[in-house]
Order: sequence, then structure tokens, then C-alpha cells
Amino acid sequence: MIYESEHKGAKMRMKKKVGIPRALLYYKFEALWTTFFKELGATVIISPDTNKTIKDLAVRYAPDEDCYSTKLYFGHAIFLKDKVDYFFIPRFGSDHEVNVGCPKFIGLAQVLDSLFPDFPEIIMPYYSKAKANHGKRRLIRIIFEIGFKFTLNPVKILRAARRAIKAHREHEKNLYISESKLEKWLQSKVSLNIKPNLGNRNEPLKIALVGHRYLLNDNLSNLNIKESLAEKGVDVITSEQMPRRLIEDQMNKLDYNMYFDYVRELLGTIMYFQENNIIDGILQLAVFSCGPDSIILELASRYSQRTSGPPLLQLVIDELTSEVGFSTRLEAFLDMIERRN
Amino acid sequence: MPFTYPHFGSLTYVFEILLTELGRTDIMLPKEPSRKTSELGSRYSPEFVCTPFKLTLGTFIEMLELGADQLGIGGGNMYCRFGLYWPVQRLILEDLGYDFEFYPIPIFDKPLNLVKSLQAVGNNCTVWETIKAFRTTWIKTRYIELVDELHFKYRALELEPNQADRLVKKLHREIVEIKGLGNLRRLGKQIPEKFENTIEIDKEKRKNAIRIGVCGEIYVALEPVLNLDVHRKLNDLGVITTNCVSFGMLIDFGRKINPFIRLPYQKARKAAKPYIGQRCGGETQENIGDIILYKKKNWDGLVHLYPFTCMPEIITRSIAPEVSKKYDMPFLSLVIDEHTGETGYLTRLEAFVDLLRRKKEKMIG
Repeated sequence: MIYESEHKGAKMRMKKKVGIPRALLYYKFEALWTTFFKELGATVIISPDTNKTIKDLAVRYAPDEDCYSTKLYFGHAIFLKDKVDYFFIPRFGSDHEVNVGCPKFIGLAQVLDSLFPDFPEIIMPYYSKAKANHGKRRLIRIIFEIGFKFTLNPVKILRAARRAIKAHREHEKNLYISESKLEKWLQSKVSLNIKPNLGNRNEPLKIALVGHRYLLNDNLSNLNIKESLAEKGVDVITSEQMPRRLIEDQMNKLDYNMYFDYVRELLGTIMYFQENNIIDGILQLAVFSCGPDSIILELASRYSQRTSGPPLLQLVIDELTSEVGFSTRLEAFLDMIERRN
Repeated sequence: MPFTYPHFGSLTYVFEILLTELGRTDIMLPKEPSRKTSELGSRYSPEFVCTPFKLTLGTFIEMLELGADQLGIGGGNMYCRFGLYWPVQRLILEDLGYDFEFYPIPIFDKPLNLVKSLQAVGNNCTVWETIKAFRTTWIKTRYIELVDELHFKYRALELEPNQADRLVKKLHREIVEIKGLGNLRRLGKQIPEKFENTIEIDKEKRKNAIRIGVCGEIYVALEPVLNLDVHRKLNDLGVITTNCVSFGMLIDFGRKINPFIRLPYQKARKAAKPYIGQRCGGETQENIGDIILYKKKNWDGLVHLYPFTCMPEIITRSIAPEVSKKYDMPFLSLVIDEHTGETGYLTRLEAFVDLLRRKKEKMIG
């Protein structure tokens, strides 16, 4: 009897709950993080898809000058607050030697910590290859530091890390399409996202949907754009799916270094399609008051004025964007493309 | 081929020194930006880019109109978007039909690359000459910053208005034009005396004058046109002010490599460690650390200025209330953009000063 209760207690201790807000970097490292904590024997609690409650929390509690996506992060974190023992909010700088991520991602954990003292313990490893020169050793240290919070078995920790990295690689491999698949998509042999509803059209319109990962995958903040495009008979390729080589090729053509790592794929996609003129249009979504976006929007629009590529529509989204105005502009854009064809 | 660069408070002199030392004779000093400059800049700028972008773009347009065709600006890899100003501004200015060339200086790059890019700006300088020019610049910058520091102190206390302004203008010119480091050092030693001898101060005022540090994003904190001359406004209220951020520290490799000196910004970074443990661009760590350090130095408060949509400083702004509460250091955060109204701004500064005054009286009485 005593043994059993002890055993139960041990088990209770084992199953610690780790909360991960479904926002920002989660969309990039989702496989890595969830696999790692699951393999360590923790229960991973991920906040649900952004909904009205979360958005309201975000607008109410987040600092009012942050970008819309960061505000949503606050909403997700506050939503999870009472349901978890730990938060996992890494202070992730970058995984490239020179290029950096967004400074807000690095400060996020400590901002949350100072704004909301009632939060559970936040696990906030700091890793940045650029600027701080962190390498493999740092990574291993972080892995063990986190691992020992959940288990005392180093073999288990290493195994968890290895599996997590493997899952992450797999996830990326599945996400990025190959160049031959891009070719097939251009010939309408495969569709990469939701299958378009053709209606009275014989060929779907081909549009590149460009935007941050955390915007394109969050259906509340992008006002369900993927579905509404499919409904209107548009076959979409997103910037996150683009073959990496094509993007890097485009970035090498610039005479300066685009050092914001996460927007390279956005600018690269736009430049690639502008140069080759093989699709019907480009739709760029931006988050209001996002720093890198303000630069990218201007670069993209000025570059596309200089080439005779497909038309480019740029829409900026914030918490006040209305669905009606948004879809009107979308329809006008599609109409324009059809008339052009 | 006239060369120009953005206006940057009293640091405009620093860049002038650097360029003259590099052997340029065709420098066009940037015009002091006006309301029109910022309107001009905002008209052609992206929608929600930060304010320094708009002001520098406006300055460039005005200078190009006046005949400059080589533009110098900071570049390179960093955390904030400042390094990407020039590609965007280049496209905008090209579309406006100007003929020019950009000379980006990678300010956070390796020293050798920095020297190389300075060489490109200079007039056939060898590497050694470039380094020497850079060295002269940072030494002169020390004195320019010393003059600024005394300026903000004496202007608050002077009996006869405008005396300090006149003296400072003269001293800045002298520092820029003086030749030889020996002469410069001699002049530097005289600076405090000169202030003391020329300016008559109110001794009564000095005893209970309150002291406020101005921190924040470096461009906004140091450019009087953008921050609506915060120092003058505070000085007029009888407040001694100082710049917590300093550009000179960043380029002062002489003191940086000296193991016996710890520069204020290094101390500030260390003090900020528990609250923001790593660099994240802008002056986040320095500003958080300054809250603690200036409390220890017995200053009365800090004014924090940052441009609208500045990424790193929003972090500062979110963390600062906790630190300021913990250390009992009043901290006023103000957003600056081209629409900032002068009256509203002044009202908030006055209220802040009143609050500090009452606090001080309470402590004494």
C-alpha cells in the first residue's frame, strides 16, 4: 500500500506539464519541441488554435506597441497560465552564423516574466549562433539543463534530444518541396495546400502566398485566407514551402545581406516569382508594426515595380482588420488577375 | 563628389572629424532637419518603419537637392533594422530620380572590415592612416561628449540665458578644427575651467536642482530635432540632465581594450543581467542597467525615449516598470514619432519633474 502510493507520487512527479504557446516560433519548431518534451516523459500542453478568447486576452494584456503576432503570443501564454507547471519559451536568437531572428523573440520570456509575476516557472534557454557564437556545446548544455528538470536519466535525455532533432529534420523535409515538385505544381499536376474548388474555371489560378509562418498557419490572424482562396479556385504555394535553394539563390543576388533570417524566405519567394513570371499573382501578408516586414514590404514593392512580373498585392493585418474589407480587396485582386489573363 | 551623412545631434561633429581626418575635403555638412525634413521623409517612407528612417531619408533628399551625391550611413548585420536602411532608401531615392552612391559603414563588423569600409570612404588612405584617423576621432569624441555633459549642467543653472549655448558652439568648433593630439589634450583640460569662468551660475539652485538622465534608443536620445530638444526643455525647468547613452563609448576602442577601465555601458549591461540576460539589439540592456546604476549614483529619475515601432526598445519599456519599482527609480517612457506634439510632450515632462521635486522635498523635509 505504502509502496503503491509512493510509486504513484513518483509517477505524478514524473508527469510534469509543459506549456507551449501556439504562436511565433512554435510554427517553426513544433516538431522539435513537442518530441523533446514527450520523450522526456512530460505532458506537453499546447494552447489551442487562436480563438476569440485568446485574442481578447491578447489585446487586453499585451503591451500595446508590440506587433499583432507578439500580442497573440501573450494571449496564448495567459490562456495556458493555470494549466501548466512549466512554460517553455526559449530565448532563441538564430541558428545561422550571421543572420538573426527578431529581437522580440529573445526578449519575450523575460518580458512575460516581469509583466506577469504569477506565471509558473519559465524554461528559457538562450541560444544564438549569431552574435553570441553559441555552438554545439551550448546546445548540449541546454538539453541537459532542461532534461534534468524532468528525468535523472542522462541516456533518456540524449535519446530525447536525438529523436527531437530527427523529428525536426523530418518535419522540415516534408515541409519544403523539391524543385521537381514545384515544376509539377506549376503544371497543375499536384496541389500543395487545400485543393482548389474549380467551379466554372478549367485551370486554377496560381498564386504565391507570402508571409510569416506564424501568420500563414494561424487561421484567426490571417482571416482564414488559405480556405477562402481555395474556395475561389486559387491554387496556393506558400513561402514556407518554397525550395530553399531557390530562396538562397535569390538572396545571393542582393548586394547587401538580408540579415533577418525569417524574412529571407518571404523576399526570396517574391523575387523568384517576379523574375520568372510563371504564376498569376503574389499575395503578401504582413503583420502590423512588425519591424522586418516594414522593410520587406517596401523592398518587395519597389523590386516588383522594376520587373514585369506577376501582380503583387500587399495586405497588412492587425487586430482591427475587418473580414469584409479584407475579402473585398482579395476579390478585386483576383478579378484583376483574371482580366489580365 | 560632395559627401554627406545624416544629421545626428552633436555627433554630426564626430563624423565631420572622421571625414576630415580621412582626407575628405568635399564634405557637405548635413542641414539641421526641420519639420519639413521629417514631412518629406515620411511622405516617401514605408508605412510603419521607425522614425529615424524617415528623418534620415528626409535629410538625404534635402542634401541631394543641394548637390551632394555620396551618402554615408551605418550598415552591416545587427539586431534592429538600421542596417537595412540604406538598401530601402537607395531604392526610394533611385525612384525619385536622384543620382548618388551609398557608402554603408558596417558598424558592428570585425574591426578589419570596418577599417576597409572607412578606407573606401577616405581619400586614398592607407590602412595605417585610416586607423590613425579613427583613433583621432574617438579621442576627439571624448571631449565633445564632455562638452555636452557640462552643457546640460550649466544650461540648467546659468543666470544669463544662452551663455552656455554660445560657449558650447564655440568649443565644439574648436575641438573639430584643432590639430595635433597634444593641443587637443591641453584644450580638453581647459574645458571645465572655461565653463566655470564664462558662465555665472545660480548657487542656490545648484544645491537642490534635481538630476535626470536621458536614455533610450541612441538616435532619438541624441538627436535634438527628433526628441524635440528634451535636454533644453528639462534644463529650462531647472533640471540638470545627462545623456546615459553615448556613441563615443561604442567607437572608443582605446578605452574598450584597456583592461583597467570598465566603461559605463559595460557596467550597465552587467547590472541588467538578471532582468534581460542577453543583448537583443538597441540599447535594451544598457537602459535597464542604467535604471539601477543611476539610482546608485543618486540621480532622481530617468527619461526613456524611443521611436515608434522600435523593436528592441519595446522590450525595455515592458521590463522597465518592474525594475523601476524594485529600485524606486522614477522612469518615464515616451514614444517619439514625427507626429509627437510639442505641447503634450512638454506637459508630460513638466508633470514628471513636478513629481520628482515633490518626492525630493518629502525626503528632505
